[in-house]
Amino acid sequence: MRVREVVEELGLTVLTTGELDQEVRWGFCSDLLSDVLGHAREGDIWITHQRHLNVVAVAKLKGIAAIVCVRNLRPSPEVLAKADGQGVTVLLSSEDAFEVAGRLYRLLSP
Amino acid sequence: MKWYRADLHIHSVLSPCASLEMSPKRIVEEARRAGLDLIAVCDHNACANGCYVRRLARERPVVWLGMEIQTQEEVEVLAWFEDEEACCALAEELYALLPDIPCQPELFGDQVVVNEEDEIVRVLDRLLLSPVPLPLEEVVRRVEDKGGLAVPAHVDRVPGGLLAVLGLLPEGGWPQAVEVAPWTPIQKVLSRYPELSGKVIFRGSDAHVPEEVGRGWTELLLSAPTLAELKAAIEGRDGRQVRPGPEVKEGL
Repeated sequence: MRVREVVEELGLTVLTTGELDQEVRWGFCSDLLSDVLGHAREGDIWITHQRHLNVVAVAKLKGIAAIVCVRNLRPSPEVLAKADGQGVTVLLSSEDAFEVAGRLYRLLSP
Repeated sequence: MKWYRADLHIHSVLSPCASLEMSPKRIVEEARRAGLDLIAVCDHNACANGCYVRRLARERPVVWLGMEIQTQEEVEVLAWFEDEEACCALAEELYALLPDIPCQPELFGDQVVVNEEDEIVRVLDRLLLSPVPLPLEEVVRRVEDKGGLAVPAHVDRVPGGLLAVLGLLPEGGWPQAVEVAPWTPIQKVLSRYPELSGKVIFRGSDAHVPEEVGRGWTELLLSAPTLAELKAAIEGRDGRQVRPGPEVKEGL
């Protein structure tokens, strides 16, 4: 499944557009960026509350398919500009992390 | 110049997670016992007990005001001040911004301001363990604007360490200096986080109980125990030095 299909199925708002045709491998939930650096895999959709500028660098380094910011926690314009510049997709959900992860899990599980 | 032994990360009873024994009187006794020349009392998002510690200590040891501020990202930053009023003003700003979640002492511990005579003079209601709703950059800016020095606490530790939470150092010049946890060997943190090479490294005790005061320390070569001198040392000016003490073994 590709990022754009996940956006559609989960009703997410696209804040920045990276590679929407990237294939999604799986999901990853964490607010600790060191944990994401250590354990997320390329092609993961990353569900988080964290909005610091470093999310962009971490997503880029790990080849994250898209960041999903939950509970309408919108990153600052500075973070979005950086994501845009780096080609990192940032998505927004009004739902909480549990709901987003649950729906994504259902969507991606074989 | 002279070497000063400093423990710049001590909690008092105002931190809900610290022991009720950590009164200003006890902190001064323990700091003298540990042979410290300079201390900073850094409670979570609060500083009031530092004022009493300073009055009691009468420069034996020298006492700086401080806080351990938890940012919106849940990064913990030590803020050190010489100027009591500046630190207290910042503490008031932060307290007003804290979420209005009451501290239930039976769950979190007590948040009490205690004077020189071990009397409780004030109880802070809002839970000090909540993060302040300000981004890291804004917290650092507010500390520096008031003349303080902001240094990320126990950078490698989960929870609250800058590198644990944010994975990488933030962009820009900050921080020039970092604190490591009492039990972290310097070589280990440098090999895990090569981006720290060239940074000035402090070690504090992060004491929450009396016996822990001074278990971790930093040696400072300064011409006087002032914040201006420490800033000069961090910049490596004129032979001033900052040298972290050895790590403590687990279990102490």
